Formats: sequence, structure tokens, C-alpha cells
Amino acid sequence: MFIENLLNQGSGPALSELLKFTSQRHKLLAENIVNVDTPGYKQKDLSLEKFQQLMQDRIEQRNNSAPGTVGFDDIQGKIENPTSGILFHDGNNRSMETLMSDQAKNALMHNMVIELLRKQFASMEMALKERVS
Amino acid sequence: MFDVLDMGASGLVAQRTRMDVISANIANINTTRNSKGELSPYRRKFVTLSSGQQADPARAGVHIDGIKEDQSEFLKKYDPGNPDADPTTGYVLQPNIDMSIEYVNALEASRAYEANVTMMETTKSMINSSLRLIA
Repeated sequence: MFIENLLNQGSGPALSELLKFTSQRHKLLAENIVNVDTPGYKQKDLSLEKFQQLMQDRIEQRNNSAPGTVGFDDIQGKIENPTSGILFHDGNNRSMETLMSDQAKNALMHNMVIELLRKQFASMEMALKERVS
Repeated sequence: MFDVLDMGASGLVAQRTRMDVISANIANINTTRNSKGELSPYRRKFVTLSSGQQADPARAGVHIDGIKEDQSEFLKKYDPGNPDADPTTGYVLQPNIDMSIEYVNALEASRAYEANVTMMETTKSMINSSLRLIA
């Protein structure tokens, strides 16, 4: 019970949800890159804006309710087929530059989230040991 | 996350095969006879890609659907002295290969290959940083 409360407080659950999102999105972006020359392939993506909006609403809801009652487990990005960019003659709406930059941004976000989680675990460890490590 | 690496590998294989076919085309740009020595100009070949991995199309990735022959007309070159020339017209049938098209395709394949490698590098860095959570 104590450990559960410890792990469910603060930004931990939100961060792990974001981590799930970035891994999921990385997979889709990788699929897009791999299929950059496949005729008729439709690009797939998860909307970061929509996910963040959902998260924001949930965080507000969580702040206004009893601890441990509101979780993030059900928040999920929905796979979309963006129609932006040029639709080529082979039916593929690729844009290599967007793909590569999205992928880089997504990876940076992933690494940032990992770093934040690490820091959080480290401070938790410090508190458990009752000494500065 | 590890299956993203498999996906990347499927992309690398596809682009490399594409490059193999392009090099075969360029190598045979003047070939007027087939392997048996009969008069039959080389036909341009190209790969068709299709999404899904070869072993399991349900898994995300890409694979070579097939290597097909370009059925467009052969080029003609006037060279009456050539033993392969048509005795009445003096034209030699040449493979239907356009060097510039092959070159552009080769460039595209190599760029796509590079993009796949970059994607796999990113994947590896993401996996590494995830592993640092445990360590």
C-alpha cells in the first residue's frame, strides 16, 4: 500500500504513459520510413497534440480528486492517417523531411522522459536510504 | 521496441535488393544476347515493393513483392556492320534501359537505405536509454 502510493504520486504515472506513447509513435514513424517507396502506402501517425490535451485534462481531474483514484492507464493515442503533404502518383503521401524530424523529436522526448523518471527513482531511493547517495 | 529493428532490417533488405536490380540493369545496358547466346536483348528489370514483412505480412515492414520486366519497346541503334543487326534495316535492338532513370532510382534507393539506418540508430539509442532506467 505504502509503495503503491509512493509510485502513484507526482508525475511518475504521467511520465510512464508518455513513455508508452513515444514508443508507440516511434514504431509508426519507423513503419512510415521503411515504407517510403511502397506504392499505395498510407502514412500513419499518432497526434501528439491530442494526446497532450487528454493528459492535461486528466492531470487536472487528478489534482481535484482523492489520491490514487484517478489513473492514466486508459489514455491512448489513436492511429491516424494524416493527409498533409503531397500525394504522389504512386498513392503514397510521404515526406521524408517531416518523417526524419518527427522521429528525431520523438526520440529526444523519449530520452527526456527516461531521464526524468530516472531522477525521480533516484530521489525515491535517496529518501528510502535516508542518506544522500 | 525490438521489433522496430526487424522492421528496419526488412527495409534495408528491400532497398539493397532494389540496388542489386539497378546495378544489373546498368551492367547490361548494351547486352544484346541472352545467357544462351541467342539474339535477345536484355529487358530492364525493376522491383515492386509491398508493405508487410516477407515471412509474415501482418507484421509491419516492407518486402519485395516481385522482380518484374519492363515490357516497353527495345531501343534501336543504327549499326549495319554489327553482326547482331537486322540484315534488312541495319538496326541493332538495344535493351530498354535509360541510364538517367536508373541513376535516379539508385540515388533514391541509397537515400532510403540511409534513412532506414538512421531510424535504426535512433531505435538503438532509445532502447539504450530505456535500459538505463534499470541500471
